[in-house]
Amino acid sequence: MASEEDVDVELLDTLPGIGVEIARALVPTRRGGPDGQLPTRRVMITDLEQDAERFTAYSRVCGFTLRDSVPATWLHVLTFPLQVHLMAAPDFPLALAGLVHVSNEMRLHRPVDIGERLTLSSSAADLRAHRSGTQLDLLGEARVGDEVVWTGRSTYLARGKRPSGSPEDAGSLSAGAEAPADPQNPYEKAGEASKTATKIGEVPTALWRLPGGLGREYAGVSGDVNPIHLTPLTAKAFGFPRTIAHGMWTHARALAALEGRLPGAYEASVEFRKPVLLPSTVGFSFAREGEDLAFRVTSRDGSKVHLAGTVA
Amino acid sequence: MAQARNAVIVGGNRIPFGKAGGAYASVSNQDMLTAALDGLVARFGLAGQRVGEVAAGAVLKHSRDFNLTRETVLGSALDPTTPAYDLQQACGTGLEAVIQVANKIQLGQIDSAIAGGVDSASDAPIAVGEGLRRALLRANHAKTTAQRIQAFASIRPGDLAPETPRNSEPRTGLSMGEHQARTAKEWGISREAQDELAAASHHNMARAWDEGFFDDLVTPFRKLSKDQGLRPETSVEKLAKLSPVFGKGEGATMTAGNSTPLSDGAALVLVSSEEWAAERNLPVLARFVDAEVAAVDYVSGDEGLLMAPAYAVPRLLARQGLSLQDFDLYEIHEAFASTVLTTLAAWEDEEFAAERLGLDAPLGAIDRSRLNVNGSSLAAGHPFAATGGRIVASLAKMLSDKGPGSRGLISICAAGGQGVVAILEAV
Repeated sequence: MASEEDVDVELLDTLPGIGVEIARALVPTRRGGPDGQLPTRRVMITDLEQDAERFTAYSRVCGFTLRDSVPATWLHVLTFPLQVHLMAAPDFPLALAGLVHVSNEMRLHRPVDIGERLTLSSSAADLRAHRSGTQLDLLGEARVGDEVVWTGRSTYLARGKRPSGSPEDAGSLSAGAEAPADPQNPYEKAGEASKTATKIGEVPTALWRLPGGLGREYAGVSGDVNPIHLTPLTAKAFGFPRTIAHGMWTHARALAALEGRLPGAYEASVEFRKPVLLPSTVGFSFAREGEDLAFRVTSRDGSKVHLAGTVA
Repeated sequence: MAQARNAVIVGGNRIPFGKAGGAYASVSNQDMLTAALDGLVARFGLAGQRVGEVAAGAVLKHSRDFNLTRETVLGSALDPTTPAYDLQQACGTGLEAVIQVANKIQLGQIDSAIAGGVDSASDAPIAVGEGLRRALLRANHAKTTAQRIQAFASIRPGDLAPETPRNSEPRTGLSMGEHQARTAKEWGISREAQDELAAASHHNMARAWDEGFFDDLVTPFRKLSKDQGLRPETSVEKLAKLSPVFGKGEGATMTAGNSTPLSDGAALVLVSSEEWAAERNLPVLARFVDAEVAAVDYVSGDEGLLMAPAYAVPRLLARQGLSLQDFDLYEIHEAFASTVLTTLAAWEDEEFAAERLGLDAPLGAIDRSRLNVNGSSLAAGHPFAATGGRIVASLAKMLSDKGPGSRGLISICAAGGQGVVAILEAV
């Protein structure tokens, strides 16, 4: 993330409640839209004590062996309220409800212990045109003292309007290769094959049976109470046939499946391609590609990809 | 390998294996292990005697059975000062227990031991759901009544559903049969070959029962005097009529007939030093030569779940300076007929030898007439931890019948991608 020391900082005393932020974002405001300006400030919380009890519950829900060191996805969970706080603010150009988390990158710079106190921050960057709308990144950072231990980049897509003046030729857009093949489904990416031509077999090597209440369980440990994850009724209200699993749960579950093969420091990148409806049984496979691990969460028969990622 | 002295198999005892929900439906692991142990004690005149140790285990185990083997000893005819412990390596448990005590005997730490295992698929533990379990634990840890009430108040209706043990690998969510179906397909193992092997297992074991082979290896229990799943009249034709139960669609070959059924039973082996047996005028059937355990990475899909013995055997052969053909008898545990066949196919495969084993040449084929001569798990049933004891005792007796110097190889695949293999030699 931008690490210039002269950026504005909004210092918080406690981690914001995501439910409160979601409610705040629903208050009608005139937002700048794709042509608006991203806030330049960085939202920050210092000297945060990690909640060991919540981490225990998080580890169980995501399938991690409970360790004293935390997975990269846990640090995302801790910075996520800062992201939401920024996105729910009245000066944020796009409406929170219209933003879809399409990809995520994280780097764990060194193993982080659950007992370490953290300084977390988040900022927004790079509002840009995308084939089917506008994309932007939410950058996150975790420090222990002055040492950067974790950085993250969550990419969101607001479907619909693009920034004015952006080229009409979608192919020339930088993010063109990631544009949805199915305009109805922002998760679906075109050009999958070229990007993830992997050694991963067609047939999943593992099956995960996901219960209907998984979204509520993960909401309980992550704080992400987005209604699309909670009940079929609230999911329907947002256009989904059933409750959908949190993308970051699926990501965490995949890292948990790779535990023991993850190095102490690593970079994890995922694309969220298709939502996982709950309850369901999904497939998981992975393969070593040189020094990296490529992995995939798919439908049971392997034909549909929900999430594709790598650990380097 | 230089070793201080030999560990020898004196004999064994098991109870007939029952079908899940069958003769032993209401019988516990401790009941069955006690029956097998008391039978062994009676057969070898060990009542009131102190044995070096008893090592046994169960794969499906109740939390109350935390000291299953010691509790069994305390309820048996053995001297109560006989030490005991539990040991578990999935389906490799029984053989691993024998390896463990044989090593101690070779080192001179003990002179005699009883090793094996027991399992019940009928009396399997059912756990309370995770939510209820955690609430009960919180209530138990609570220091005040208020905390206790709070813990109980956190129980939700959904938490009350019980959790039954799943017959699947925790890291893949696939059952053993689904795993093996993939391996069988990969190796192109035909339905016919599997059914032939299954029919042969039943016929061989039925013949062995008829010939009285098991007379001094089995003690009847609960009105059962023969393995309950044994089907002497089965045939390749009858087996061919069954529908596949593992794997899907075209190319699915694994049926209930060529897969081992869930079973109940217990089996134990008496192992000692030669001196200990001689002092008691006990026969010595075979010497425990050596053993090896291998494991494979089935989680990534790099290797099949039940293929570890294919790696363990070449390592063991190399250490002993033997070839695969240097054996008079082979006992390859029939988890599924296709497990035996994929293991044999791997040993004959040049690519597998070069790429997986790093060998110049494959181990080669075996004389199939020496394989599972008196039947194996498809016919007897497979109470997980009991299988090792059944095989060790049977093989030791068969080798003894063949005469001094005859050599036998045991290969047992186990959940978690492990394989336990051992060599016995008649003395």
